[in-house]
Amino acid sequence: MALTYGTDEWNQAYDALVKERLDSQSKPYVMGTPEWVKQYEELIQNDAEYKEAAKDWEGSVVIKILAKPDIGLDKDLYMFMDLWHGDCRFVKIVPAEVGEAGDFVITGEYDRWKAVMSKELDTIKGMMQGKLKLKGDLPTIVRAVKAASRLVDLSAITEPRFPDELDEAGTEDLRALLKRAEDELGI
Amino acid sequence: MADVKLAPGAEEVAMAVMISDMLKANIEKPEKLKDFNKLKARVYIQAKDAETEMTMVFDRGSLTVYGGKEGNPDISIITDAATLLDLANINIKYGMPWYFDETGMAVVKKLLKGELKLQGMLTHYFALNRLTKIMSLN
Repeated sequence: MALTYGTDEWNQAYDALVKERLDSQSKPYVMGTPEWVKQYEELIQNDAEYKEAAKDWEGSVVIKILAKPDIGLDKDLYMFMDLWHGDCRFVKIVPAEVGEAGDFVITGEYDRWKAVMSKELDTIKGMMQGKLKLKGDLPTIVRAVKAASRLVDLSAITEPRFPDELDEAGTEDLRALLKRAEDELGI
Repeated sequence: MADVKLAPGAEEVAMAVMISDMLKANIEKPEKLKDFNKLKARVYIQAKDAETEMTMVFDRGSLTVYGGKEGNPDISIITDAATLLDLANINIKYGMPWYFDETGMAVVKKLLKGELKLQGMLTHYFALNRLTKIMSLN
């Protein structure tokens, strides 16, 4: 039985998983793994440009990557960013019901997000082409377009390894990691 | 309640849906509704980098959004997707679009560099001003 999101037990288990992964993995991390999400979180937290652009921002932003089982993503992945007036309180992988309840949920196929994080697809362009779909108050995100763009730029700065580029063993490792996260944390 | 509708097929064009949603939210504000009710113009928008286009037909209190080029536009806005959103961030001061702050100057620079093409700017000056005010989120 998975722990309940938001409880101390869940947070401790999540932090322990991140620590274990940071200790056992080396950069570049695989996009969508807890260690990569941690690296991304730290980048946002230390980025002056984001802080300035997002000084009026209130609310959570969720990156929802649709499942792609052949590369190890058996379920949709929700990366939840808790953002407040230029601060990034945390970025975590969260259960689906928590992700769906985010203030702004940007959804896309894995390949679209890979293109975004490789700087091949601009998020705004992607939304106007319907490649990425926004759930949430559009005027709010348009007002904060510079902050949103910076968030995406930072994801590209992490220069992750992408799940579809892993060898067979790597894909199985990723699948096992995400299965463990599902069993223990409900994500 | 203002009459804003998507023409058949426009719901397939993400930009058309996005911009009409934004306009719907905007014209809930009385000062923008006033301009909306006065505006009569056919406006074509093309986001070059996103390879997408749309036409908005304003008819004094009603708006029909088409997912492509429809008829002969009075005003054409041709630019990239990000600049289109910059236009939505233009501030309104003294009841007019304000081009003398950072956001406004950035738009003017793009206009001068040819990165933003505004056709009908002089011939439909008042309609363009109204359109800018309706589209502005500020």
